[in-house]
Amino acid sequence: MTTDEGIVYDRSLLGVETQIGTFELTREMILGFAKSTGETNPRYLGDDNGAGDIVAPPTICNVFVSGVSRPDINLEFGEIGFFAGQSIECKAEIRPGDVLSASTKLDNVYVKTGRSGKMVFAVWETQFRNQDDVTVALVTESFVRRNKNR
Amino acid sequence: MKKNLYFEDVEIGDDIGPIKRSVTDEDVIEFVSVREKEITPSRFTSNEVANREGMPEAIVPGPMNIALMSQILTDWSDTVCLLKIDVVFRQTVPHNIDLTFSGIVTDKDETGDSTKLECDVVMENSDGVKLVIGTGVIALPNKP
Repeated sequence: MTTDEGIVYDRSLLGVETQIGTFELTREMILGFAKSTGETNPRYLGDDNGAGDIVAPPTICNVFVSGVSRPDINLEFGEIGFFAGQSIECKAEIRPGDVLSASTKLDNVYVKTGRSGKMVFAVWETQFRNQDDVTVALVTESFVRRNKNR
Repeated sequence: MKKNLYFEDVEIGDDIGPIKRSVTDEDVIEFVSVREKEITPSRFTSNEVANREGMPEAIVPGPMNIALMSQILTDWSDTVCLLKIDVVFRQTVPHNIDLTFSGIVTDKDETGDSTKLECDVVMENSDGVKLVIGTGVIALPNKP
């Protein structure tokens, strides 16, 4: 069972969207992403010379999520924090030249109690829309805070 | 040559992969440079910075891990459309080690309403330790 009862944090941030930036996705970026992750699919790499029609690998938006500065939720719990997990929903194709705008919001804060004790999870949802206002990806990230084991 | 898979070809329990590979220092630098034109040394690109942050060596960035995890699904067949991937980072992933990616089909929509499949995916090191685990939802086309 999960609950947020008794967790002290800035609840006014729940559900409030914050713009985190606009990113133009160039062909060079798509090719760099594809090559660095060992892609072999010509759908992402083009022909042998890197020419031809391509689309971006489905998780490419994620490079813009890491390192984003988010509002501090002033969570009053835990001595250590870590990145717990992430999901990406791929909603539409992303192509070279697309301009993506991203907004993020605090989606949920909840408590789970496991073997190592109480853990507080903060879940952020980041939405990417293209220049036609079509949502292309939804990235959900979970961050955990807990106390050190003693 | 990769076979084009159709929804009707796949059953629950079918194996996906495995794929074996490692992530080199150069791969990580190329990945990071997609976002950063001038790379600042970080836990991802510098052993020294990683050591200062309490890690034994530089690690593979989380977004790169999720891209690699998604590949086990998209590499399965050119007909795969990745709809969602959800991962849990269980341990950090160092550069230059042997990694094995594999998956298994865990659910198939038999209602006829969609051609969606659910799969478990995992990244393991050479000792079989699960570094990243996850689930994916993919769609395959119906047989022509």
